[in-house]
Amino acid sequence: MSAPATRVPPAEGASAHDHPQSANPETQFRHDAAVKSADLVHREIIRKNMESYDVGHMKGRSRFLDWEAAREACQAIKREAINHLDKYLLQFEENVTARGGHVFWAANSEEARKYIADLAVKHAVKTVVKSKSMVTEEIELSAALEKVGCTVWETDLGEYIVQLRHEPPYHIVTPAMHLNRTQIAELFRDKLGEPDLPEDPQKLVAAARRKLRKAFFAAEMGISGANFLVADVGAVAISTNEGNGRLTTSLPRIHVAVTGIEKVIPRLENLATLWPVLATSGTGQPVTTYGTLVGGARRAGEVDGPEEFHVVLVDNGRSSLLGHPEEREVLHCIRCGACLNICPVYRHIGGHTYGTTYPGPIGAVLTPHLRGRQFEHLSYATSLCGACTTVCPVKIDLHHHLLHNRRDFMKAGHGKTGERLQFRLWRAAMLNPKLYAMGGWLTRKGLRAIYGLGLSGSPFDPLRAWNRKRSTLPVARQSFREQWRKGLGNGR
Amino acid sequence: MPVAAPHEPTPGRPFFAPIENPLERFEQECKANLMELSLTSNPDESAQQLAAILSTLPDGEMFVQDHPSLRSLVQAASVSREIRWSTQGRPREVAQATVTLAEALVAQTGSIFVSAACGGRGASVVAPCHIVFATTDQLVPDLKTALDNATRNGILANNSFACMISGSSRTADIEKILVQGAHGPIRLAVILERS
Repeated sequence: MSAPATRVPPAEGASAHDHPQSANPETQFRHDAAVKSADLVHREIIRKNMESYDVGHMKGRSRFLDWEAAREACQAIKREAINHLDKYLLQFEENVTARGGHVFWAANSEEARKYIADLAVKHAVKTVVKSKSMVTEEIELSAALEKVGCTVWETDLGEYIVQLRHEPPYHIVTPAMHLNRTQIAELFRDKLGEPDLPEDPQKLVAAARRKLRKAFFAAEMGISGANFLVADVGAVAISTNEGNGRLTTSLPRIHVAVTGIEKVIPRLENLATLWPVLATSGTGQPVTTYGTLVGGARRAGEVDGPEEFHVVLVDNGRSSLLGHPEEREVLHCIRCGACLNICPVYRHIGGHTYGTTYPGPIGAVLTPHLRGRQFEHLSYATSLCGACTTVCPVKIDLHHHLLHNRRDFMKAGHGKTGERLQFRLWRAAMLNPKLYAMGGWLTRKGLRAIYGLGLSGSPFDPLRAWNRKRSTLPVARQSFREQWRKGLGNGR
Repeated sequence: MPVAAPHEPTPGRPFFAPIENPLERFEQECKANLMELSLTSNPDESAQQLAAILSTLPDGEMFVQDHPSLRSLVQAASVSREIRWSTQGRPREVAQATVTLAEALVAQTGSIFVSAACGGRGASVVAPCHIVFATTDQLVPDLKTALDNATRNGILANNSFACMISGSSRTADIEKILVQGAHGPIRLAVILERS
């Protein structure tokens, strides 16, 4: 069995998802956003995928008698869980350990990686199969396991595709959304040793299945994520369609579930609400094909299952978010991807441009909290249209959290000097009508002069950011005040 | 006015339409989930259905949950292929089909609820065809009832694993095009006998 391609290892002190070209995430983001939004092939692929999602999602919502009531119910469940996180996490731990399972509390990525890598070394693990988990991306687990000699196989089809391409996932639900069948067929012909594969999704899926089956039966360790941690029964709930999560948690000797502390929910019956809402928001399905519940290792008298069961609960900045009364509801997120799909910014710049594990509106809100101020620019990567807030199945007020992040950032003194000066001038002008009118007059005159010299979009143009890639923004002949004085207010 | 305990979510408006006829709904949802459903009236018909499904599969081993009702079903279906019973160990990769019971069936989503007691974890995912034998008295209207029952009956206290299965294994990771049989069964067949 040939080893799968691994992702590019991160540079010293950098995240695997930081692009190597620029040390500054903001500079890189601006560059990649400009390139991606002008990439017509990429836009066409995303448009097609998103339109297909939109149809499925709306059809899925129509199955509900009252979609808003379902969102409110999910919000209530998550609010209850996050407001009593300590209680439910301890209840979950108690239930798991009472049946012989192990729960490890990891304060950060390093602790989580070390625990799992040590476990792999202790059990002489050579092959690891992984089912989809964004938290393992967040903590950069695969590279750590490869360092201790393991071969790591991503088994979700989309994850497997991006792993073969040395890329991080493009989207938190559909990791290979940015690729079409032609690109995937080329990749498989090259990497899977099947030079005659046609561009037929069925044949491509079958080729991946053949390859990954061998990995499943060879693996000593299976690593999964968790969509929910069910406190009252002490079980990890994993939603998958492909069944790779099932095989990952059934065949290997050791099962490790890695997830964030915010995934806990109080009761098993909560899934009767969360499962359909998650599936509808994620893909438009009524429920995911497999709603798997794992409460431990194989018991006496059971046919199969792993000998050991470990749950790694990752904090990594989440508990400091919990201490933030205004922002803590960000922890309600169930990672359905609906806010990414509806976001006009995501639809133009794509997932990789964000340079973060979690892209889109939720990533823009969450990442500065998890990874620090160097990702604060993402709070500005938004049109503030609020579409994300309207689709969030747990009703997180996403676009207002982007504003909160901006406010906190400025309050902490991190704004740019030029920007501060501009706002100060703006404030002065707004408080002085004469100054405001003069400013407007100067701007109109100046812009007209610049346009007249054919310098629109040039470095001399104050509206260069807009004008250099679009038709020139027209300048009104008269100010609003003049128009008003001449009767605009009277409907003339 | 009674006040809800502070840790209880506020009870809200209903968000799913009530299910008037669970059997009819189950049939509809199975169809939508691309499952095969055969409704039978007695053990003989069920055995015939099993034989009919098996006749469409390639030769090879079959894995069966070791339970008296399935022993008599398999015997009545006069299965000629090699059988590996769950008491002999987990299903092997060569298995062409697995036959198991279910803990419950859910009308709302056309789901089969299985636990480790239903032939183990691999029984519903390793082979290309999973055949479930169930009776209509196992049918519950919705997910909430199924999960409430699971809590009450200690399904997860007594089993290390349970799964709500709503169709065959599938993926839409390539251009959002649905392909069945990603990693698990390509076919999920339910033989549902009237109680």
